[in-house]
Amino acid sequence: MPLLEITGLTQRFGGLQALSNFSCCLEERELAGLIGPNGAGKTTVFNIVSGFYKPTEGSIVFNGKRINGLKPHQVTAMGMARTFQNIRLWNTMTVLDNIRLARYAWLNYGFLSAVLRTGRYRRAEKAIETKAREVLEIMELTEYAEEFPKNLPYGLQRRVEMARALAGNPRLLLLDEPAAGLNSADVEGLIRHIRWIYDEFKISIWMIEHQMKVVMSLCRRLAVIDFGCTIAEGTPEEIRRDPDVIRAYLGDGAL
Amino acid sequence: MQRYAINIFFLVAAVTLVGLAQAGMLDKYVLTVITFMGINCIFAVSLNLVNGYMGEFSCGHGGFMCVGAYAGSLLSVAFFTNSKLFGAALFAPELAPFLFPLVLIGAGLAAALFGLIVALPSFHTRDDYLAIITIAANYIIISIVENIDAIGGPRGFSGMKKVVGLMTDVANVPWMLIWTIIGLFACVMIIYRLMTSTYGKGISAVCQNEVAAEIMGINTNRVKIMAFMVSSGLAGLSGALYAHVYGYVNAQAFNILKSTEGLVMVYLGGMGSISGVLLAAVAFTLLIEVLRFVIPWLNDVLHATGLLAVNYELGQVWKWVIIPLVLILLMQFRPEGFLGNRELTHVFPRLRRWITFR
Ligand SMILES: Nc1ncnc2c1ncn2[C@@H]1O[C@H](COP(=O)(O)OP(=O)(O)OP(=O)(O)O)[C@@H](O)[C@H]1O
Ligand SMILES: [Mg+2]
Repeated sequence: MPLLEITGLTQRFGGLQALSNFSCCLEERELAGLIGPNGAGKTTVFNIVSGFYKPTEGSIVFNGKRINGLKPHQVTAMGMARTFQNIRLWNTMTVLDNIRLARYAWLNYGFLSAVLRTGRYRRAEKAIETKAREVLEIMELTEYAEEFPKNLPYGLQRRVEMARALAGNPRLLLLDEPAAGLNSADVEGLIRHIRWIYDEFKISIWMIEHQMKVVMSLCRRLAVIDFGCTIAEGTPEEIRRDPDVIRAYLGDGAL
Repeated sequence: MQRYAINIFFLVAAVTLVGLAQAGMLDKYVLTVITFMGINCIFAVSLNLVNGYMGEFSCGHGGFMCVGAYAGSLLSVAFFTNSKLFGAALFAPELAPFLFPLVLIGAGLAAALFGLIVALPSFHTRDDYLAIITIAANYIIISIVENIDAIGGPRGFSGMKKVVGLMTDVANVPWMLIWTIIGLFACVMIIYRLMTSTYGKGISAVCQNEVAAEIMGINTNRVKIMAFMVSSGLAGLSGALYAHVYGYVNAQAFNILKSTEGLVMVYLGGMGSISGVLLAAVAFTLLIEVLRFVIPWLNDVLHATGLLAVNYELGQVWKWVIIPLVLILLMQFRPEGFLGNRELTHVFPRLRRWITFR
């Protein structure tokens, strides 16, 4: 049984067809990529899968359960986490608090416990703190725990966002252009971190990425979409030689 | 020491104030002003939860104070006095000081319930709509109260003086001052503890980036409703205290002007700062009291110097020219309020030896 199975996904925004009949499968423990030119519909796929958009048509099955129509927080609680193309951290909270909040879906205490500071509250907060610090340690962010994300360089912010996604113990991690805006040294670090996460957490990763260097060195399987349609699928080597892909990226004259 | 700073501060304040009052060093007027300061603090800090921490714009906070004021008054009259409305008292009069917290809690719960009723339909809409809906709710609540004849309708409701009298019979101390300090302490503790828990930080997360909050597994609708209920519940607590200090309630006391006072205090103090809003509530209460003297004085001066027409008297309504003016000036020169979203401990780091706001 595949971990994520998308069939016949179609998304219309008014007159614009952002996705047409998109299908894709992701096996357990896969590290796959989704590429395509600007405006191809990649982020739209992620937005649908994570529950932000309700697809016009199609079905998404995650971990054996149909998830279309679920709210994003429900999808997250089922073991999916993601990062955003444009970083979305909580800027007036410390890095540590940002990570802690990723455990929100699993909070087992409520308002009264929080206010009365019951034993249950203290145990839960302690567990959250331990988990958050552990994730920070793994992502080499411990020294920034008390910083505010907005004061950190871009590369670190991306890493914090990844750490936050991981703190929810996801089975599937969706990364939307994790290398966007990074310099080449940061990109090296990113590749190292992603590979490390993949090996250490034993999770599946699906990433959108423009930088060929990143996809080529990480992904074993790629899907390419253009104008909302899948135009190619295969290993990075196959994709690199695919005439349809070259045409999509470079225009008809390239062949 | 750090952990108990708030507790100690309140204890010292309570002991000092009650001591001074018992020694006869605070006259009745000063005592009342101090009590109202506390009530305004509760009102403003509770509004700050929604308008500051959550970044929504609720404009009808007075409505929830109204619910609390009436619920508290009805409860205490039913509990402790023989009335036409409820018949014989439910509890012996000597129990009044011990069971009064039930009245306050009941008032808070009633107001929180109204908060829920307002929040459920309104959080599917956004920003401006919430402002409009809360204003409407404010009007609706007042109209409802004014149309229930059994609780006095537009004439208002009284009988709480008797209850305060019963408490004074048991022990001759300034009871309402004590309850206000306890209420404020509870209010500050609730909000402080809420906002330092992961559970409550969900409110800040929703405020700063709702999309990220949803994706990180936070049920944003639920968080908003929770914050709104806590906020209106605490406003209800302030209403119940208000009703007992005055000994009389009238729905019009909680109209849109009351809600505006709340907004002024929150924006004066800085949204999302407990200490800032507390300072602002104190300053605002003082300002109102000062204006009570300054306006007649100004009236005399202007008449004496011939600057004001002889047949025009500068009345207390000018309060509502001066207060908005203060707000406009503030928005011009310090739009983030006294403290912005920082706490006193950020402005004066030395205070951190005593207290932290995290
Ligand atoms: N909420 C929306 N409403 C209307 N149109 C949208 C919406 N979201 C996306 N689109 C449109 O759908 C198309 C696909 O957008 P999408 O963000 O998925 O592209 P992308 O492949 O992620 O591109 P990029 O590489 O620039 O991130 C674009 O034309 C975009 O304008
Ligand atoms: Mg995109």
